[in-house]
Amino acid sequence: MVEGQAEAGIGPAVATPRRNGAPARGRSAVRTARRLLIYLPLLPSLFAFIVLLGYPVLLAVLISLQKMGLRELVQRTTVWIGLQNYAAILADPTFWAVAVRTLAFTAVNVGLTMLVGTVVALLLGALGRWLRLALSISLVLAWATPALTASVIFQWLFDSKFGVVNWALTSIGIFGDFTNHSWFATGLSTFGVISLLIVWQAVPFVAFSLRAGILSIPTEQYEAARVDGASDRAIFRRITLPSLLPLILILTFLSAIWDFKVFTQIWTVRQGGPAGETVTLAIYAYLKGITGAQYGLASAVAVVMVVLLAFVLIPYIRTMLRTQDDL
Amino acid sequence: MPRRLRRIAINALGVATILAFAFPVYWMASTAFKQPGDIQTYVPKFVPFPPTLDNFTTAVTRPYFPDYLRNSLVISISTVLLALVVGLLAAMAIARARFRGRKSFLLLVVVAQMAPFEALLIPMYLVLRQANLLNQIPALILTYFIFTLPFTIWALRGFIAGIPADLEEAAMVDGANRFQAFWHVVLPLLAPGLVATSIFAFITAWNEFLYAYVLMRDTANFTLPVWLATFRTAFGTDWGGTMAASTLFTLPVLVFFLLIQNRMVGGLTAGSVKG
Repeated sequence: MVEGQAEAGIGPAVATPRRNGAPARGRSAVRTARRLLIYLPLLPSLFAFIVLLGYPVLLAVLISLQKMGLRELVQRTTVWIGLQNYAAILADPTFWAVAVRTLAFTAVNVGLTMLVGTVVALLLGALGRWLRLALSISLVLAWATPALTASVIFQWLFDSKFGVVNWALTSIGIFGDFTNHSWFATGLSTFGVISLLIVWQAVPFVAFSLRAGILSIPTEQYEAARVDGASDRAIFRRITLPSLLPLILILTFLSAIWDFKVFTQIWTVRQGGPAGETVTLAIYAYLKGITGAQYGLASAVAVVMVVLLAFVLIPYIRTMLRTQDDL
Repeated sequence: MPRRLRRIAINALGVATILAFAFPVYWMASTAFKQPGDIQTYVPKFVPFPPTLDNFTTAVTRPYFPDYLRNSLVISISTVLLALVVGLLAAMAIARARFRGRKSFLLLVVVAQMAPFEALLIPMYLVLRQANLLNQIPALILTYFIFTLPFTIWALRGFIAGIPADLEEAAMVDGANRFQAFWHVVLPLLAPGLVATSIFAFITAWNEFLYAYVLMRDTANFTLPVWLATFRTAFGTDWGGTMAASTLFTLPVLVFFLLIQNRMVGGLTAGSVKG
C-alpha cells in the first residue's frame, strides 16, 4: 500500500527523448523499434511465469482428467478418463471429511488470529514505552521463527513427559493433573497445538499491520470525539473500527489463504495423525499424490483446492487492485 | 482508582502477552545450552546454568550436516540472485515506462503472488520430472525463484517508484546513457530496497520445507529444513540436539528479519507474501 501510492504523479512516464533535427525518414521505424524495446526487460519474467507457473497450472488441469499413476508416468502413456477423478474424490467420504475439517480449521485459525491480533495491536497502543518495546521484540521473535522451527519447538513444549506445558498446568493445579498427558493422542487436541502454533506465528504480522493502520488515523478525529464526551468503547467502535475495516478485510483474506493451504506445521507435528484425524486438503493431496502415486487423483484435489481458494482469492485481488492507484 | 486498576490490568496483560510470544523462542535457545541431565527433568530448569555447547557439537557433527548447510546456502543465494536480476529488469520497466499491456503484466504479478504453491506440488513434481530435474539442486532453485519472483518485482517496483525520475533525466541531459544513468544514479539509491527484497527472498528459500522434502531423494541433497524435520525421528528424544539444530537454523533468519522488519509491515499488505 505504502509503496504503490508513492508512484502516482511522479515524473514523466515515458522516456522517448526527442532528437532535434533527426531525419524525418526512418523516424517512425526507430520509434516502433523503441516501443518494442520496452518489452525486452519483461521477457525473462514472462518466460518464467509461463514455464514455471502457467505450465504447471495447465498440467494440473490436464492430469486431473487423466488416469495417471506410476505406470502411466513411466511408460509415458496418456489415458483420458474425463471427470472420473473428480467423481472419485467427490464420492470418497474421507474427502468430504477432510474438506469440512480444512474449512473449519481455517475458520478457527483466521478468527483467532484476527481477534488476538486486534487485541495485541490495541495493547501496543495502551502500554507504556518500555513494555511496548518488549512486546514488539517478542512479537518479532515469534514472527521471524521459521514455521519448521516453530513446529519443532511446540512439540518440545507439549512433550508428554518433560514438556514445560504439562508441568505448568499441573503446577497451577486448577486444571487437574497433566503429568504424562499426551497432547497428540486425539485429533482435536493435536489440532489445538497446531492452531496455537499457527496463531502464535501469524499474530505479529496482523498486530503490526493493524497498529500501523491505527497510527495512520488522524488524531483530530479522536480529539473531537473526546471533546464530545465519547467513551473509549464508542471511540473504538465508531472511529477506529470503521477506519481499519479495509485493512482488516485484506488481513482476513490473507490469513484465510495462508491457513487454508498450510502444510509444514501439520506435517511436521504428526504427519496428519493420529489415525489421519489431522489430515487437511494439503496433506490429503500429498498422501494421494506423492505417497500413493495417484497423480491424476491428487491433481483433481489440487484443482478443487484452487477453486475453493478462489472464493477468497478473487475478492482479495479485487480489493488489492482497488488500493493501487496505478492499476 | 478504577483508572489505576485499569493501568495495572493493562500492564499485566502486556507482560502475559510478552511472555506468551517470547517464551517458545527462549525455551528453544535455553534448551540448546543446557547440560544433557538438565533437559529431561520433571521440574523444568529455566536457566541453562552452567551452559554447554555440547548440543551444538552433536548437531553439527551429524552426518551430512556440511552438505545440508552448503545446499541451503547455494540454493538460497542462487534464488536471490536470479530473482533479483530478473525482477529488477521487469520492475524498472513497469515503474518507469508506460506501455500497452503494463496493467495486464501487473495483474499477472499480483495473481502469481497469490498462487497456492502447496496445491501445485503434484504438477510441479511432474514438470520437474519431465525435465529430469528431480533430486537435483537446480530444481529447488527454479522452484524458489518462481515463488519469490512476483514479490521481488512488486517490491522493487515500489522502491524504484520512490526514486524521482528527474534524477536519471538530469544525468542523461549531462550525457550519460540510459545504462550509466541507471548504474550511477538509480542503483545506489535503490540499494536499501535491493537489500530488503533479497533478504525476503533469502528467508523464503531458506525456510521452505515441502518442495525440498518432496523433490530431493538423496540424503546428500537435502536442505537444512529437511534435516531439521527428520532430526527428531533420527535423534529419538534428544531434545537438546534438536533445539541446538533449531537455534542454528533460526539464527540467520532472525538476524536478517530484524534488519527488514520495518519494511515488511507496509510492504507485506501491499505485496502480500508471508514472512
